[in-house]
Amino acid sequence: MLITVHIRAFARFRESFGDRFDVEVESPATVRSVMLEVGKRNGQGVRDLIDDGGNVKKSVIIMVNRERVTGEARDEHPVHGGDEVALYPPVAGG
Amino acid sequence: MIRVTRDEFDASALLEEARSGEEGAVVSFLGIVRNDGIDRMEVEAFEEVAEQELSRIREEAIAKFGVTRVDIIHRVGSLSVGDRIVLIVVGASHRKAAFLGCEYIIDRIKESVPIWKKEYTAGGSRWVPGEHE
Repeated sequence: MLITVHIRAFARFRESFGDRFDVEVESPATVRSVMLEVGKRNGQGVRDLIDDGGNVKKSVIIMVNRERVTGEARDEHPVHGGDEVALYPPVAGG
Repeated sequence: MIRVTRDEFDASALLEEARSGEEGAVVSFLGIVRNDGIDRMEVEAFEEVAEQELSRIREEAIAKFGVTRVDIIHRVGSLSVGDRIVLIVVGASHRKAAFLGCEYIIDRIKESVPIWKKEYTAGGSRWVPGEHE
């Protein structure tokens, strides 16, 4: 079954993939499956997002429903239909 | 007050507001667009999360240092050299807590608040790298 996930992308990821859009992924979905789908939108930009092993790069910060997802199991973190997944590079404010 | 805004702000007025008599010390930090040979800077934020994170940092500073007043205003949008980017105003009973609290807040902003800067020069543009890449 396909589910719809709402994406927010910022800074260089916004430039590569767009700022707000939806993706459809197979359920059960994970941070990895959602990011692989996002990556399909830009053949160049995907290199900033996914490494050669198919893992989400550590330099990509991920939020699911406005909460940071961190740790070794991050790529397997579950994503549900209607969730908002945000991706952004390391911050540089102040 | 915690605010992420497109609008210019009056730093002097905010500093004056902090002189209520409740606190014996007020320390402020003003971040300014530096002339690094740039024409302008675009500041972008995940605004909803940035305000939430700034509020969290304010609570941390209150809990850690016992400061009693914290205002943080961060600009977004197009800024020129000399423009104000961020203002932090920290009030406490005594100076030590105010200094420590203010430094803590700017360091935490650079670490975790979803804000990014893109610099535009005559030759093109570049994203400012984070200090915690």
